[in-house]
Amino acid sequence: MAEPVIDLKDVDLTLGGASNPVHVLKSVDLQIDRGEAIGIVGPSGSGKTTLLMVLAGLERADRGQVSVAGARLDTMSEDAIAGFRGKNIGFVFQSFHLIANMTALENVAVPLELAGEADAFARAREELEHVGLKDRLTHYPGQLSGGEQQRVAVARALAPNPAILIADEPTGNLDAATGKQISDLIFKKQRERGMTFVLVTHDVGLAAQCDRSVRVRSGEVFSGDQGEDALKQAAE
Amino acid sequence: MLSTLDLAWRFASREIRGGLSGFYVFLACIALGTAAIGGVNAVSQAITQGIAQEGRSILGGDLRFELVQREVTPAERESLEQLGDLAVMANTRSMARLTDQSDQALVEIKAVPEIYPLYGEFVTEPVAAAVDIAATQASDGAWPIVAQPLLLDRLDLAVGDSVLIGNATYRITGTIITEPDQLSDGIGLAPRVILSNEALMASGLIQPGSLVERVYKVRTPEGTSDAQLRAQIESLNEVHPEAGWAVRTRANAAPALAANIERFAQFLTLVGLTALVTGGVGVANAVRAFLDSKRDVIATFKCLGAPADFVSLIYFMQIMAIGLVGIALGLALAALAPFAATAALAGVLPLPQGGTGFYPGAVMTALIFALLTIIIFSILPLGRARDVPASSLFRNQVGAQNAVLPRWPYLLIAFVAGVLLTALAIGFSFDRRVATVFLAGVAIAFLVLRIVSRLLMDGARQIKNVRGAALRLAVGNIHRPGALTPSVVLALGLGLTLLVALALIDSNLRSQIAGNITQRAPNFFFVDIQSTVVEDFAALIDAETAAEDKLVRVPMLRGRIVELNGQDVSEVELPPEAAWVLRGDRGITYARNVPENSTLSAGTWWPEDYSGEPLVSFSAEEAGEIGLEIGDTVTVNVLGRNVTARIASFRQVEWESLAINFVMVFSPNTFAGAPHSWLATLTMEEASADREGEVLGAVTRAFPSVTSVRVKDAIDVVNRVVGQLATAIRVAAAVALIASVLVLAGALAAGNRGRVHDAVVLKTLGATRGTLIRAFVAEYAILGLATAAFALAAGGVAAWFVVSRIMTLPWSFSPDLAVVTIVVSLVCTVGFGLAGTWRVLGQKAAPVLRNL
Repeated sequence: MAEPVIDLKDVDLTLGGASNPVHVLKSVDLQIDRGEAIGIVGPSGSGKTTLLMVLAGLERADRGQVSVAGARLDTMSEDAIAGFRGKNIGFVFQSFHLIANMTALENVAVPLELAGEADAFARAREELEHVGLKDRLTHYPGQLSGGEQQRVAVARALAPNPAILIADEPTGNLDAATGKQISDLIFKKQRERGMTFVLVTHDVGLAAQCDRSVRVRSGEVFSGDQGEDALKQAAE
Repeated sequence: MLSTLDLAWRFASREIRGGLSGFYVFLACIALGTAAIGGVNAVSQAITQGIAQEGRSILGGDLRFELVQREVTPAERESLEQLGDLAVMANTRSMARLTDQSDQALVEIKAVPEIYPLYGEFVTEPVAAAVDIAATQASDGAWPIVAQPLLLDRLDLAVGDSVLIGNATYRITGTIITEPDQLSDGIGLAPRVILSNEALMASGLIQPGSLVERVYKVRTPEGTSDAQLRAQIESLNEVHPEAGWAVRTRANAAPALAANIERFAQFLTLVGLTALVTGGVGVANAVRAFLDSKRDVIATFKCLGAPADFVSLIYFMQIMAIGLVGIALGLALAALAPFAATAALAGVLPLPQGGTGFYPGAVMTALIFALLTIIIFSILPLGRARDVPASSLFRNQVGAQNAVLPRWPYLLIAFVAGVLLTALAIGFSFDRRVATVFLAGVAIAFLVLRIVSRLLMDGARQIKNVRGAALRLAVGNIHRPGALTPSVVLALGLGLTLLVALALIDSNLRSQIAGNITQRAPNFFFVDIQSTVVEDFAALIDAETAAEDKLVRVPMLRGRIVELNGQDVSEVELPPEAAWVLRGDRGITYARNVPENSTLSAGTWWPEDYSGEPLVSFSAEEAGEIGLEIGDTVTVNVLGRNVTARIASFRQVEWESLAINFVMVFSPNTFAGAPHSWLATLTMEEASADREGEVLGAVTRAFPSVTSVRVKDAIDVVNRVVGQLATAIRVAAAVALIASVLVLAGALAAGNRGRVHDAVVLKTLGATRGTLIRAFVAEYAILGLATAAFALAAGGVAAWFVVSRIMTLPWSFSPDLAVVTIVVSLVCTVGFGLAGTWRVLGQKAAPVLRNL
C-alpha cells in the first residue's frame, strides 16, 4: 500500500477567543494517497476550509500530527512552512487572488522567482501556453475575463510543479460553462502530472469527478461509505 | 542577501506600477515637512555663508578694534598702524534738531575718515555725497553729512536742508543707500547719519565720559591669512594688556547676527520637525490603509512561499520609494528657498556673492529627518502586515490585525529610529535644552492625544440610551472599530496645540510690550548728561514737569568684563543665554545704596562710607547663568584700565520695568575720580504725546549734547521686530497646521470610503439624507470640540511654561484665542468631514449593494 502523501492524525483545532471558542476540527484523521484526487464537501461553516488550511500549513492545529509530503508541518516554523508550500503545494482560489499590478506572466513567475528558479519567466510562459493564454502574457488581471484570470491562477499553481494541488471552490466565481472549462483543465493537468489533488467544493458534480470524497460536518470528517452517502444525499 | 533584496525590489517595483493613488496625503506630508526643514536650513546656511564670504565688507576691514569712551593711546595707535591701513571711526547717538528747534529726532552717528570704507562700497544718492562728507566746513558754517532716508521722513527734510546736532550745523548732502559695514557696527534704534571725524568733533558731543564707541578698522596687506590675523591679535594683546579693546576679525564679522540666525533657524527647524512628525500621522494612516488594501496580496505571497519578513521587505521598499518621491519634491522646494530668500532679503542681510546655491548640509538634514520619520511611522503598520496570515485568503479577518502589537524587531526599529530622530534634532540644536523641552512636549502631546482619543471612544461606548437615530449613529461612529477618532484627534490636535501655544506666547509678549512694559516704563531715557551740567539738567526737568513726575539719575560708565576669577573671559564656557553679559561693553554704575527695582538676594551691601577693596553687586540671574559665587572676582576694563572687584552681593533685577538697572553695580570708591556721564529716566504720570514733545524740545534746546530716547519710540521699534519674528514663526506654525489639515483631510477621506457602505445600507433600511447629515455633523462636531479643548489646554500649558518659566513674564490667557481655536477646529472637522461626506450621501445604492 502506498504511503499517504497527506496524513492527518487526531487533529483538533479551536478558533475564536476564550470568550467564544468554536471547536472547528474534532479529532480529524485523514489520509490522502499520492496522485489521488479527493473532494471535500460539507455545508457552510462545517470546517472544510479550515481542514484545507490545516493540511496546507496555513492554520496550525492545537493537537495532532500533520504530515505532508514527508514533512511534519505541525513542528515547522512559519517561514519554513512558507518555503515548503512554495515548492510542494499549489493553490487555486475561488477569488483567483492574482496580484493586480503584475501581468499574467509575472503572476505565474512569482512562485518560481521565490523558489530561486533561474528560468522563472521561461517556465511561466510555458505554463500560460499550457492553459491556453499565450496571447495574454502581458495582460494585467483587470484586463482578463474571470475565466482567464482563473486559468492564470491555475498556471501559477502548477508552475513550481508541486506534489499537491489544493483548490478552494475554483469554479465558485465563474459561470457554468467557464467553470466546466476550468475544472476540466485542472483535472486534466492533475492527471497528466500525477499530482495529489484536494478540492473543497459545494458542487457535488465536481466532487464526483474526484477519486473519492469526504464529508465534513460540525468539525468531524466522514469518509468511505459515510462520505459517499453524504455525497448522494447532497446530490438528492 | 543581495539576491533577496534584488527579488524584493523586483516585486516592489512591479507593485508600484499601480500608481500613487492613496498616497497623495503621504506625499504632501513628507514633501511639506522636508521642504520646511530643508528650506529653513538652506536659507540659514546661505546667510551664514554670505556673512563668511562678505566678512571683510561686513566688518569694514580685516580687523576691527573697539573701545568705549576712550581713544587709543599713541603707543596703541602706532601698533595698529603697523598692521596695515588704519581707519579711525566713532559711533555715538544724539539728537538731530531742525534749525528752528521746532522738532528733533534721535540719530545714530557714525564718524568716518576719508579712506572709508576700507572694503565694500559706500553708496549714496547722489553718488557724490559719499565723497562730499570728507569736505571741510562750508562757508556758512555747515558740515556735510549723509543720512538714511528715514531721518528725512521723520523731520520732513529734503537733501540740501540743514539740521543741528550738538552745537554744530550740518547740511544733508545726500541719503545713504548702502552702508557696507552696517551689520558689524550694529543696527540701531534710530536712523543713521554719516559724517567726517572732524564734523563730529565740531558738534561738541565728544566729552570725557561721553558714550562714544571708538572703532579702529585695519586693512592688512593682501594675502594675510586668518591665522596670521589671530597671531597679530595675540601679540597686540601681549604688548597692550590693559587696552581692553574688543577685537573681531573678518572671519567673525557679525557674531551676534550669525548666532541669532542660527538660533532662529534651529527654532524654525523644530517647528518644521513638528510639521514632519504631524505629517507622520498621515504617513501612518496612508501606510495602514495601503497595507490593509494589500492584505490579500500579502497573503497570496505567503501562500506562494514567501517568508513573512520578505513580504514586509517588499512593502517597506515600496513605501520608501514613494517616500523618496515626497522627499525629492520637498527637497526641490527647499532648494528654491534660498533663491526666494535672496530676492526677499536682498539689502537686509548678507547673502553669498554670485548668488545663492545648493546646500548639501541642509539637504542631508532634511533627508535624514524625513527618512527617519517615514521609518518611525511606517514600521508598525509594516510589522502588522508581516503577520497577516496566509489563511486570510480563506477567512475574512479584517480588523483583527490592527489590535495586536507587531513583533519585537519592528518595535525595536521604531524605537531606535525615534531615539535617532530625537538625538539628531537635539544634536543639531543651538540650544539643546529648548530642543529637548520642545521634543518632549511633542512626545507628551502625542501620548496625551492618544489617551484623549481612547477616553473619547471609551466614553462614547459607555453612553447608552441616546435619543434620536442621528445622535445614536454619531456616538456609535466615534467608538466603532475603524473609527476616525484617533486619526482626527491626533492630526488636528497636534497642529492646533502648536498654533495655540505660539499664538498665546505672541499675544502675551505683545500685551507685555504694549501694555505692562509701556505702563510701567519711564517716558524718557536721557543719556550722556555731562557731570558739569547734571544739576542744571535736573533743574530744567523740575521746572518743565509736574510735582508727581519723577526724575531718576545715576552715574554711568561703560566697561567690558575681561576676566572672571583671573581667567580670561574668552576661555570661559558659557550657556548661550548668558553670553550677552560678556559680549562687548556693558553699562556700569556705582551706588551707595541698593538701586530701585532691585532687591538684595544674597550677600551684603557695602556701608555708605565704604573705602576698602573694590566691591561689586551682580545681577542674581546672570550671575547664576555664568556660575559666579559671592566672593568671586570680576575684572572690568573701564577707560583703558583694568579694575578688579570682589562680588559682595547678588540682586534680583526687574529688567522688564525698563527702569535704570545694571548687571554690575560697584562700590562708589571703585571709580573715584574717573570721568563719567550720567544716565537719567523721567517718568511722567499721564503725559500726553504733546506734553512729552514739549519736554523733549526743552531738553534738546537747552542741552543739545544730551541724547533723549522716548521709550514709546523704542518700544515701537521693538514691536516691529517682534512683529517680524512673529510673522516668521506664524509661517512656520502654518506649515505645521497645513500638515495637520492634510492629515485630517486624508483621514476623513479614508473614513468616507468606509462610510459609503454604511450610508448605503442605512439608506436602504430607511435612513433619510437629513438623518445621515445630522449624524455626521454631530460626530465631527464632537471630535472637533474635544480636540479644540485639548489643544487649548495643552497649548495653554506649553505657552504658560515658555512665558512664565523661560521668559519670566506675567502670564495671561486670551479668551479670543479660545474662540478662534474652537472655530478653526470645527471648521476643519465639520467642514472637511461634510465636504467628503456629501459625496457619500449622493451615492447610488445599487452599485454598492451589488458588491457587498
